[in-house]
Amino acid sequence: MADIRCPMCSQLNPEGAEVCAFCSARLRPLLAGGPSADAEAGEPESGEADWLSRIRSEAVRGEPSGEPPPAEEGAPDWLSRLRRAEAEEEGPPVGEVPTWVSEAVEPAAPAPAEVAPAAAPDVPDWLARVRERKAAEGVEAPEPAPESTDDDWLGRLRAPQEEQAPAREAPTLPEILRPPPEVAPAVKPTPGSLPSWLPQPPAAEEEAADVSPPLPSTPWEPPSRPIATPFSRGPVAPPPAPAWPPAPETPAVSGPPDWAQAAPELAQPAELEGLAHVPALLPEEGTPFLPGESGDFDLDSVHLPEWLSEVKAPAAPSKPPTEEQGINLAPATLPAWLEAMRPMETFRPVVEIQPEEEQMVEAAGPLAGLRGVLLAEPVMAMPRQTDIGSTRLDVTERQYAHAEFLHRMVQEEERELPPAAAARRRIPLTRWILSLVLLVAVALPMTVGLPAFAVPILGPPDLNPFIGRINTLPTDRPVLLVVDYEPGYSGELESVAGPMLDHMVARGLRIATVSTRPSGPPLAERLLVRAGVDAGYQNGRDYLHLGYLPGGPAAVQLFAENPRQAVPRGYLIPAELTSRSGWESPMLSGVSALRDFGAVILITSGAETARTWIEQASPRLGDVPLLMVLSAGVEPMVRPYYETLNPQVDAILAGLPAAAAYENANGRPGGAQSIWGGFGSGVFVAEITLALGAGYGLLTALLSRRRA
Amino acid sequence: MRLRASLVWAAVASGVGLIVLLGFFFDIEPLRVARQILVDWAVLLAAWALILGLLNLLSVHWSKVSQQEKGWPYSAVLLLFFLVTLILGLLFGPDSPVILFLFNNVQLPIEASLMALLAVTLTIAGFRVVTRRRDLVSLVFVGVGFLVLLGTGPWLIGSEGVLNTFFRDVRNWLAQVWAAGGARGILLGVALGAIATGLRVLLAADRPYGE
Amino acid sequence: MGIDVFGLIALLVFVGLLLLYGVMGRRWPAVFRPMPGFEMLGRGIERAVEAGERVHLSLGTGSVPGKDCAPALAGLAVLSRVAAATTMSDKPAVVTAGDGALAILAQDTLRAAYAKVGARERYQPTAARMLGPTPFSYVAGLPTLLASEDVSIHMLIGSFGAEGALAAEFGERREAFVLAGTDDIPSQALMYATAEHPLIGEEVFAGGAYLNVGELHRASLRAQDVVRILIVGLMLAGTILRTLLDLL
Repeated sequence: MADIRCPMCSQLNPEGAEVCAFCSARLRPLLAGGPSADAEAGEPESGEADWLSRIRSEAVRGEPSGEPPPAEEGAPDWLSRLRRAEAEEEGPPVGEVPTWVSEAVEPAAPAPAEVAPAAAPDVPDWLARVRERKAAEGVEAPEPAPESTDDDWLGRLRAPQEEQAPAREAPTLPEILRPPPEVAPAVKPTPGSLPSWLPQPPAAEEEAADVSPPLPSTPWEPPSRPIATPFSRGPVAPPPAPAWPPAPETPAVSGPPDWAQAAPELAQPAELEGLAHVPALLPEEGTPFLPGESGDFDLDSVHLPEWLSEVKAPAAPSKPPTEEQGINLAPATLPAWLEAMRPMETFRPVVEIQPEEEQMVEAAGPLAGLRGVLLAEPVMAMPRQTDIGSTRLDVTERQYAHAEFLHRMVQEEERELPPAAAARRRIPLTRWILSLVLLVAVALPMTVGLPAFAVPILGPPDLNPFIGRINTLPTDRPVLLVVDYEPGYSGELESVAGPMLDHMVARGLRIATVSTRPSGPPLAERLLVRAGVDAGYQNGRDYLHLGYLPGGPAAVQLFAENPRQAVPRGYLIPAELTSRSGWESPMLSGVSALRDFGAVILITSGAETARTWIEQASPRLGDVPLLMVLSAGVEPMVRPYYETLNPQVDAILAGLPAAAAYENANGRPGGAQSIWGGFGSGVFVAEITLALGAGYGLLTALLSRRRA
Repeated sequence: MRLRASLVWAAVASGVGLIVLLGFFFDIEPLRVARQILVDWAVLLAAWALILGLLNLLSVHWSKVSQQEKGWPYSAVLLLFFLVTLILGLLFGPDSPVILFLFNNVQLPIEASLMALLAVTLTIAGFRVVTRRRDLVSLVFVGVGFLVLLGTGPWLIGSEGVLNTFFRDVRNWLAQVWAAGGARGILLGVALGAIATGLRVLLAADRPYGE
Repeated sequence: MGIDVFGLIALLVFVGLLLLYGVMGRRWPAVFRPMPGFEMLGRGIERAVEAGERVHLSLGTGSVPGKDCAPALAGLAVLSRVAAATTMSDKPAVVTAGDGALAILAQDTLRAAYAKVGARERYQPTAARMLGPTPFSYVAGLPTLLASEDVSIHMLIGSFGAEGALAAEFGERREAFVLAGTDDIPSQALMYATAEHPLIGEEVFAGGAYLNVGELHRASLRAQDVVRILIVGLMLAGTILRTLLDLL
C-alpha cells in the first residue's frame, strides 16, 4: 500500500487515512459525491476546532437544516451567527457591526432618498454610495438591526435579493473545496441586480462609473506552455485558469447571480437593485460556499476595473510565420557592444508558462480547485532530490590543479613530519690535509732532524744594541722583569726571552718579577726556574716575585709612582721573609721607586700592554732603560717608540730569528735553536700554502670570467 | 622614580669620568688625589665584577646541567673542575705546588694548543683568502704575507745568502715602514674612536649601565 | 700647577664638534660611506629571527678599567640596537664577554632594551654571560656556545687579541654571518683573513652610527673625521717643517 504524504507537513500517512495524523490536515480533498467526501461525511470531526473543516463537512453532508449547528467549544460566536444569517438580511449582525456601519445604515433607513454620505465622519465612501443609490432608487433602507439582538448581517445582505433569487437548491460543496471542474458559465448580472457597492455590469456602467475601477477587459489566460520550475521534475501542467474575474465585455445580464439567488435570506435593498451580485464570502445555510456550479458567482457579472480591462489576454500562441505566409522576421540581434557584455555563463531560466487548460488544478490544501498554483509539494511538502546535473560542476584543468594543490597543502599541515635528520656534516678535507701537513712539517725536524735549517749567525740589527744594554746593566741594583703575556704565547716568548735570561743569569743580575695578569707570576716562575736552575739561582735571594698587579693601566701608573704600595702581596715568597709582599727582602732593600731598579724589561705579546708601560712608566724611569722582549707580531707597533729621536724604548728583542741569533752569541743553545728546524719547515709549508691558495683563487677567477 | 634613578646614575658616571679626565690635564693636588681615589675604587669594582662574572658563569652552566640542555656534559665538566680548582686554591693557596702543577700541566698546554690551532687556522685562512675575496686587497694581503714569511723564516739553502738577505730587507721594509705607518694611522683612528666613545659616556648619551 | 694646554684644547675642540654635529645633525645630515658588514647585518638578523636562530655578540676579552674598554662600549651600543630587534624572537640575542664587569654592563643593556620594547618579562639574566676570565679560556668556550645556542649571526665587537681570529674562525665553521672588529692592529689583520665581514681600523666604533643608535653616534663619526683631517694636516705641516729645518 502506498502511503500518502500530507500536503501540509509532508509526513507519510497510511493509504486509507483521510486526515493527517500529525497535523490533522485533510489528505484527500472534499469532493461532491466522492468517496472521500462521503467518507468524510461519515466521519464527523469531534473535538476539533477547525472551522473550515467543519464547514466542509457540513457542505459534504448537505445539511439543509436551518438550525445552526451546535456551537462548538472554541468556535467563535460570530461564525455560528453567520450560519443563521437570513437572505433578507443585509449587513453585519448588530453585535458585530461596527458602530460606524450601524450609524451609517440607520440614517438611510427612514429616508432612503436621502443621501448622506458624510453623515458620519467615519462612514466609508462605499457605504455612502450605497446609501445614495438606495435613496436614489427609493429602496427602503433596511431596518437597523438592534445591536444586541440580531447579528446576522449576512442574512440581511441577502434579504433584498431574495425576491430575485430563486430558492436555492440543496447546498452543495463550496466551490473552494471542490476540484476545479470546467469553468462554470458565468452568470452575468443584470443592471441593478448587484448591490450598489459592487461594480455594475456594463449596462449600468455609466452610472456606476465611479463605483470602482474597471477590471481588465480580458480575463487572465493561463500560459499556453507548461510551467517549468527549478524544482520540478519536468514540465508541470499549468493549473487551470481560475474562474474569475470575468471579462467585462461579456457582462452577465441574465439576472441576478446565482449566489444571490442561492441566498434567499439576503435581502437586497432597493438601492441595490441593478447592482452586480457578489457572492458572500462565507456560505449561508444551504448556500454554496462559493458560487461555482450554481453560477452565483459569475465572472462576467463582475465589473472589472479599467486597469484590468486594459490588460489584453495574451494572444494565443500562433504558429511562427512561415515563408508561405510571407512574413520574414529576422531574429533579434544585439549590437556588438551589447553582445560583448553578455556574461559567459548566463543563467537563463526557462520559464514556460503552460496554457490554462493544461495547467494542473490544485487538489489539496486551501487552494484546491485553482489553476496556476505554485506547487508546494515538490518544494515544501516533499523532500526533493537535486538533479544529477545540478551537482555536476564544470571544473577546468587549472581549477582542478589548484584544488589538488590546496588539498595537498592542508594534508601537509596535518601531517606530522618526522624530526629532520641532522644534516651530514661536510668533511673539511682541506683543513685536515693542511693540518696534517703542517704537523708533519713541524714535527719532523724536531724528531728526525730533517730537514735541517741552519741557525742564523747574524741577527737582526736590533740584537746587538739589546745585548749591549744587558751587558751594561748595573749588578748592584735589581732588574724589574714584567711578565705580561698569556700562557698561550709561552711557546714563542719563552724561547725569545730564554737567551736574554741566560745572559742576565750569567752576569749575576738579581731579578724581581711583576705582572698585570693573574697568570703572570706562574709564567715568571717558569722562566726563572728554567734559566737559573743551572746557575743555582734561589728564590728570595737571587730573584723574587712581587706578584700580581691588579687594575690594568691605572695600576701601572700607581706602581710607577709607588711600587711598594701598588703590590701588596708577592708570589711564592720564601718562608724566611715575614712580610707577604717580599719588599723586605735584601735584594729590594734600596728600592722604593721605579727608578731604583737597574732596568725595566717587559716581556709581552700585546702592543697595548707595551704602550701602557711605555706611557705610564717611562715618564718615571729617568735614566733607567726600558727594554722590550716582544712577539714577532707586536714588533712593528713598538718599533716607533724605539726608533724615534727621543726613544722611550731603549732596546727591543723580537722574533725567533733574533732569539736564535742571541743564543748563538751567548754560545749556549737554548729553546730557540731547539725549535728552529720546526719553525723553518712550518714557515716553508705556510709559504707554499699561501702561494697555492693565491694561485688557485686566481685560476678559478679566470675560469669563471671565461665562462661568463 | 625610575627616571630619577637613571638621572642619578648618569650624573655619577659623568661626574666621575670628568674628574678622572680633568686630572690628566690639570696637575692639581686635590684633583690628583680625587682621581687616585676614584681609580682605586674602579680597580676594586673591577675585581668584584670579576667575581660576579664568575658567579654568572656558574649559574649559566648550572642551569644547563640541571635542565640537561644541549651540551650539558661539557658544562658539568666545567663545574667540576671549577670547584676542584677553587677548593684546592682556597686550601693550599694560589702559589702552592698543587696549583702550579695544575697551571703547568693543564692550563698552559691547553692555551698553547689553542695558539697552535690559531697557526693552522691562519694558514688555512691564508689559503682561502683569494678564493673567498677575489679583489686586489686580498691579493696584496697574500702577497705581503708571503714576502714577510719569506724574509722571516730560514731557508733550506741557508739564511746568509744574498737572496735571503734581500728578502730579509724587504721584510723589514714592509714591516717597519708600511705596516708600522699604516698601523699608526689606524691607531690614530682607533684613538679618536675611543675618545668619542668615552665622551658619549661622559655626556650621558650612551648609558651602558642601563636606563 | 701644570696644565696640559694642548691636550685640553684638543679635548675641547672634540667636544665642541661633537655637540655641534649633534645639534645640527638633522639639518645637515651626513652621508657615510657604505659598509657592507653593517648593511648585511640587518638582513641577517631578520633572517635569523625568522628562522628561529640566535644572534651572538661578543664584547671581547678586554677589561673595563683599561683602554680596551672602548671597543666594548661600542659593542654595547650595537647590542642595544640588536637586542631591540631580537626581543620578540624565539631565541633572543646572547652576549658574551671575557670580563665580569663587561658581562654586567651587557646585562644592563639587555634589560634596558627589553624594557624599551615593553617585554621586560622576557629578559633573562643569563643572556649575558662571561665565558672565561682569560682570552684563550674565553675562546675555548665559544664552540660549545655557538653549537648549543644555534647561532647564525656571530658578531665580535670588542677588544680581541690573536684569539679573535680563532673566535671568527669558529663562526665561519658554522657558516654563520661573521662580523668581527677590534682595536688591536695585528688582530685586525688576522680577522681580515678569517672573518667574512671584518671591521678594519675605527670601523668597530662606527656601528652605532650605521645602526642608528643615536644622533650623537653619527655626530661622533663626523667629529672624528674632522679631527682626523686636522691631525693629518698637522702631521704634514710638522713633517714639512722638520724637513725644512733639517735642510736648513
